[in-house]
Amino acid sequence: MTGARAVTCPSCGGSIEIRAVGYTVTLACRYCGSLLDVANEDVRLITAYRRAAKNFAIMPGARGTLFDVEWEVIGALRRRSGDAVWQEFLLFNPYSGYRWLVAADGEWQFGTMLLDRPEEDGRSVSWRGQHYVLDDNAEIETVMVIGEFYWRAARGDKVQGATFANGREQLSRETSADEVTWTQLIPITAEWVSEAFTVEQRHMPRPPRPDLTEGFRKAPGVAEGDLGNMFLVALAALLLILAVQVLLSGPQVCADGRATVDVGGATTIHRIGTVEVRRPWQFVTITVDSDSFTNRWVDLDYSLVNRQTQQSVDAYGLVEFYTGTDSDGPWSEGSHQAETLFSRVPRGTYDVFVDVGAHGWPSDPVPGTVDPQNPWGHTDTVALWFRSCTGGFSWGMFWLMAALLFSVPGLIFWWRHQD
Amino acid sequence: MENLTCPSCGAALPVRDPGLPYSTCAYCQTLVRRGAGKVEAIGTVATLPADVSPIQIGTTVDRDGIAATVVGRVRWGWSDGSWNEWFLRAADGRAFWLGEAMGMYMLTSEYPAVTTVPAIQNFAQGNPMARDCTVKAGGKWLTASDIKEAECLGSEGDLPFPALPGRTMTNADFRNAAGDALSVQRDADGTTAWLGVWSDLAGLKPGNLRQIEGWTMPKALA
Repeated sequence: MTGARAVTCPSCGGSIEIRAVGYTVTLACRYCGSLLDVANEDVRLITAYRRAAKNFAIMPGARGTLFDVEWEVIGALRRRSGDAVWQEFLLFNPYSGYRWLVAADGEWQFGTMLLDRPEEDGRSVSWRGQHYVLDDNAEIETVMVIGEFYWRAARGDKVQGATFANGREQLSRETSADEVTWTQLIPITAEWVSEAFTVEQRHMPRPPRPDLTEGFRKAPGVAEGDLGNMFLVALAALLLILAVQVLLSGPQVCADGRATVDVGGATTIHRIGTVEVRRPWQFVTITVDSDSFTNRWVDLDYSLVNRQTQQSVDAYGLVEFYTGTDSDGPWSEGSHQAETLFSRVPRGTYDVFVDVGAHGWPSDPVPGTVDPQNPWGHTDTVALWFRSCTGGFSWGMFWLMAALLFSVPGLIFWWRHQD
Repeated sequence: MENLTCPSCGAALPVRDPGLPYSTCAYCQTLVRRGAGKVEAIGTVATLPADVSPIQIGTTVDRDGIAATVVGRVRWGWSDGSWNEWFLRAADGRAFWLGEAMGMYMLTSEYPAVTTVPAIQNFAQGNPMARDCTVKAGGKWLTASDIKEAECLGSEGDLPFPALPGRTMTNADFRNAAGDALSVQRDADGTTAWLGVWSDLAGLKPGNLRQIEGWTMPKALA
């Protein structure tokens, strides 16, 4: 007597083996999905379908060993409750009976039907000295069946399913019109199942999707944890800008020049050097250093005159230094140095001219008068040393970028900590 | 009674249980009635449909002080399936039924006392059994969970009644949370009640199980 019984599907003519011969009453044809009544010798068509479901994680016919017993997967169900969809596999061994493998939320459970029933007490039950608390109670619908079953399984079957939990162990109670069945479910690792059976991972029920509102909270720049990252990104961008600015500033070629001007005299024009701009556009920086005057200011009108076109690029500079004494004590203001940046100078060779006018504060000294503090001094003059260089670094641009980059995370930081 | 032969085909007819009047010839399915030194053929039973039951004639069980051997089987069919009932005889002469369904087993011995309970008496008089009907048997409360009209699909070995095709019965199974089982069967000969336990196969400590092709017997059961 062979273990399996071969039958012919009355709907598609396919040859199907019944494995749990004598127990199986309903068979879903593996070729066309039609439901067959195989309780008796004659095979009867219950419901015809055109196509069998294939997308189960384990297909009926697979054999594997779990808990030291070899099992054959003889049936598979896809079930649904609310938004949750999962798969259940009916395992059979003629010496050990039936067991269940349940694949839900990416995790596996091994189920054994109970012969002794739990004692029910409202929202909890007790079984073999353990206490189980109601976890879930909802209608479960069977949406797809394939393989063979010891009951009248069909698509569209509905039962009321309640789950009672004690740690990771569960008791499941399914109530249909005809009967109540209890099953103990224990967790089993996916690795263990994979060692026993060939599991098609792409057909596994997917883990539940994360809560969407949680997803919004985690959006970049909105979640608390991203603020630090925003500062880091801003810092990295600023360092990149710094590197680019340094790279663009060169090459640096300099020319030196000097001029001496009378304080209070007419403005005088001096040629203070020649610079050559070799790039299409480049910065030109002129720094000026003066002798240590006090209470003077010097206006500097620079002009870069292109030798070929005689076109000029103009810029303005100023050195000023004042001292005095008031109610707060002695004070000083200003500097003997100044820097002027030409931001866009086209390629070419330029003569650098400066139109210098020096003035006294609060008023220009009258020519010919003798300074009482410096009676032996010469006519009051200011000496200036110029250095004109191609290249230059725009700190203004750099700090503007820094302000823009840090404004958004800074604003968020301020908004969060304003309390 | 020794060296009986089938009156139909002449094959040897082993006597597994001299106390049982009916035996089925394994070769020609002739149902034989034995008694008072004579053997008579009274009909032909249906060929048993194939199944993958691990029980066979000669299988032994040992549970709760019951050490018995399988001597015969009836297969019952109902609208949505079928099940085996194996008849067992213990060395001390007690008789048991081992019901087999869904890979689980119900081992019972006759418990006539419960037939005096009004609900069972009502059932014995031909009335339907209500589901959720609760009775007390052997000091335990049990609830009717499963009532089936069944028809004999075939038989083998030695049996207490003639399991001919067309024989029908009504079976009511009772159970409780502790795993106790009560089976009340009504047929043309009357109503009997059998009390026992639900068990898995390992819990019966079976011996001499059937070797099923394509399957390895678990070491714990071999």
